[in-house]
Amino acid sequence: MAIRVNPSFIDDLSRYGAEDVQLCYQCGDCSTICSHADDIYKFPRKSMRQLQMGLEQRIETTLEPWLCYYCGQCSEQCPREADPGESMMSLRRWLISKYDFTGIARQFFKSKTSEILAVILIALVTGIFLMFYGISGGSIHIYDGEGAFLPSQFIHKFDLTIGSIMAIFLLINSIRMWYFTMIKGVLIPVPWWLYLKELYELPLHFFTQKRYAECESNGKQHLHMPWLIHLGLMLGYVTMLLLVLVFVEPLQAGPEIRWSVHIFAYMATIGLLSGTIYFIRNRFKKNYTQYKKSHSTDWVFVVLLFFIVLTGIFQHVFHRTGLYEWANITYVIHLMAVVPWLLRMPFSKWAHLAYRPLAMYFAAIQKAAYERQELLVDSVSITIK
Amino acid sequence: MDDQWKIDIDAIAKYSANLPEVEMVKNLGIKPRLNVETLIETINSRKLERLVIAGDMPGYYKPVFTKAMAKTGGNVDEVRLASFQEHGAKNGQSLDRAKAIIACATMAVPFSLAAVPGGNPVNHSTLVIGAGIAGIQASLEIANAGKQVYLIEQSGTIGGHMAMFDKTFPTLDCAACILTPKMVDVGQHEMINLMTRAKVVSVGGKPGAYKVKIRQKARRVDVKSCVACGLCVDACPVKVKSEFDAGISIRKAIYIPFPQAVPNTYLIDEEHCRYVLNDGEKCGVCVRKCPKDCIHLDEEDATVDVEVGNVILATGYELLDISKIDQYGYGKFPNVVTSLEFERLTNASGSTGGRIVTKIKQYNRKTKQDEWVFSPEGVPPRSVAIIHCVGSRNKKYNAYCSRVCCMYSLKFAHLIKEKIPNVNVYEFYIDMRAFGKGYEEFAERIREEGTYIIRGHSASVVMNKNQMVVRGEDIFNDRLVEFDVDMVVLAVGLVPSQGTEELSRLLGVQRDVDGWFSELDYNGSPTDTDKGGIYVAGMCQAPKDIPDTVAQASAVAAGVLRSLTSGQGIGSMSSLTLSEIEEKAKTVHAI
Repeated sequence: MAIRVNPSFIDDLSRYGAEDVQLCYQCGDCSTICSHADDIYKFPRKSMRQLQMGLEQRIETTLEPWLCYYCGQCSEQCPREADPGESMMSLRRWLISKYDFTGIARQFFKSKTSEILAVILIALVTGIFLMFYGISGGSIHIYDGEGAFLPSQFIHKFDLTIGSIMAIFLLINSIRMWYFTMIKGVLIPVPWWLYLKELYELPLHFFTQKRYAECESNGKQHLHMPWLIHLGLMLGYVTMLLLVLVFVEPLQAGPEIRWSVHIFAYMATIGLLSGTIYFIRNRFKKNYTQYKKSHSTDWVFVVLLFFIVLTGIFQHVFHRTGLYEWANITYVIHLMAVVPWLLRMPFSKWAHLAYRPLAMYFAAIQKAAYERQELLVDSVSITIK
Repeated sequence: MDDQWKIDIDAIAKYSANLPEVEMVKNLGIKPRLNVETLIETINSRKLERLVIAGDMPGYYKPVFTKAMAKTGGNVDEVRLASFQEHGAKNGQSLDRAKAIIACATMAVPFSLAAVPGGNPVNHSTLVIGAGIAGIQASLEIANAGKQVYLIEQSGTIGGHMAMFDKTFPTLDCAACILTPKMVDVGQHEMINLMTRAKVVSVGGKPGAYKVKIRQKARRVDVKSCVACGLCVDACPVKVKSEFDAGISIRKAIYIPFPQAVPNTYLIDEEHCRYVLNDGEKCGVCVRKCPKDCIHLDEEDATVDVEVGNVILATGYELLDISKIDQYGYGKFPNVVTSLEFERLTNASGSTGGRIVTKIKQYNRKTKQDEWVFSPEGVPPRSVAIIHCVGSRNKKYNAYCSRVCCMYSLKFAHLIKEKIPNVNVYEFYIDMRAFGKGYEEFAERIREEGTYIIRGHSASVVMNKNQMVVRGEDIFNDRLVEFDVDMVVLAVGLVPSQGTEELSRLLGVQRDVDGWFSELDYNGSPTDTDKGGIYVAGMCQAPKDIPDTVAQASAVAAGVLRSLTSGQGIGSMSSLTLSEIEEKAKTVHAI
């Protein structure tokens, strides 16, 4: 099958952050040092080459960008300073916009003004709607129970609505990812039962992110700290999402603390808070290679999340200390940040929560399929004629 | 356009605007984004006939201007470059020079043409600094033409790096067989005044009549009466790593660098000699053993003044400090060696008699520790990996290509295959630079000999259960590879030798960004420097192989002899003032 070459692909990608791809001279140092590169998925060099050649259609079908956790070793020792790690990161951004059928993600990644404007616009609409709803149906002096400013039954429905909109988009995008990578990207037959056989990979990678822990720095130490923080952030996030979508009514009931629910919320908050502070600090200090270049969407991601966590904590504290007016106001502000955040999810970096474990899962299926076809080359047993 | 070279751009712009024929001056800033359409508009509206692009690397932007010029129907030859860096305007101090470069470019006069001065009468002696193959060749050429040469060499013997080599590529000739006769010639030549262990300490005078002060370290052994019996060496208690053997063997504090050394007598390493270090209070055993009484441990360093007309720089190179690069495990794993170490290992005059072996553990009684050493009893390696471009073509170390590594690495592969039966040799390369006569054929021959040549660099050497493992990506075969190897040879990049910076300061010769001496014009006069009567030969100008070095050395000799016999005298380009260069440019322009 002939492949159409897009000569301006490399220029397109510079909008997503990869600026130095053209410097690469294909020495292969990066693939050698990467602890995730293996016989089938040889990155980052191969991805760099495909980028240089403008093989847009091929990159679209690859899983490699998702297999990289950006430990930064490749960029650190790159003799050309072509920054392969950042290129893989940019490819992930590009893939997110590629999986997204609406084109919104593309717009957000390419123009930070449009993203910030969209966030502000949705925040304002949400704020006005909630204020209107609150004033018309309740009193600002009451936080929970009868006549509350924002009754938790209403919030529950509100959350579910927003959540389902987000879920539908994410589901469609994930199906598109499956189509690109598993249908267009695999030229050998993949039997259906492999999908079942490898299914355990999905929760495994989702909940442990063990490949991140396999990343190394300087070829020796494992990167335990970022992995742990990232895992804490992700688990905190998922827990909080579940609490808000399912258990929002007991969560908002007060004023006494319901430990059966709140203990989870507190733990999730610790994870979220430490995670966001850690990542914001690193992006400011630029102390590791992976934080040296921050795309505008990265900043929106962490700063908005940090803001949400902060307003959530304030709202909780005001509620428990009896400052109901303040609690209601912070609640509105909190939701003003939450709604754009949630709606932004399928179109932003956040979507890697779904794509990454999916990619590991797909990769495992592909590997099993290749093994079945005996196409796997054992790299050690090369002999000389 | 880089921050570190702060040439005052505004001053240059002001100066250029006042030059005759200049219609407009535009400061494009750093890394300009140029647009052909706007350029065409400017050219048409101002009716420009010549465009001069000035800056540090103006050639990079030339295509845009040429395109614009062509589209307006102008003469594309009138797009000219005023390249500051290339012509030696490198910092704030060289503002006048930058102005001169622009003046020449606007008048369409090649800078070097305008600025070649003449005049000073020439002293007929020549100073050659560095006695490697370049220095030897140049000295012999000039001396054979009947002119006096002072050849000075920092170490105890002449010969330089070439004397260390086993074979030359691509002909696989014995390096010593080519070099040693020349060395002997130098030693015996009546027109060559050879000074080993000597260094330039100051340079005065002007082109054509340089007054050079040379400091010659005391040899402490009388060259004339020493018969090289070797009794002193047996007695000497001090053991030092041999520089000539690239540190893989041991010598004494009184030593002869190698059997074919010129001058072929012993010398004292005053940095390690116990007698010298203790101001004569200890040791002195060699003096007692010497049957000819030719060791004088109290001999003082001497200073020699010479007057010369021309100076040839042939100071050569050294290997990049490999301790900066830790990913290959050099210094950590015993059998990771540099190219020079391997060269000495495989040389028949080396410590193993030319056998290629892996290091063995030996107990050092002095430090009470086991040490890894090369010994004739060692076991030959079953497989060897040779890694190209170690520190070369790497923005962290040397951005440039060291030019010789590809070929000597292939030569190593051949030597290993020749000496060890059934050995596996892996070459990890990025790009194969087989650029010279017979080189490509040589590379093809090595490939046919069964060396596994892998397109793809290796990033790491690791130890796995007492077995070294080299990882790499075999790009052409699309797979990641891991090989068990017993020895790793690193093709380490080359850097200018240590004294290059000091010498450039003493002589006022420019160096390029990588530290090599700058030639006057890369294409037109690759052996001259902008300082009149000072020439560059061999590696000290840029990495090059032996044939190129010898060719350049001979070319330098031709330049020197021309200055001696033409009767026109010589002068220095940098000695001209801006107005003189302008004046000259105008006259050349008028013709």
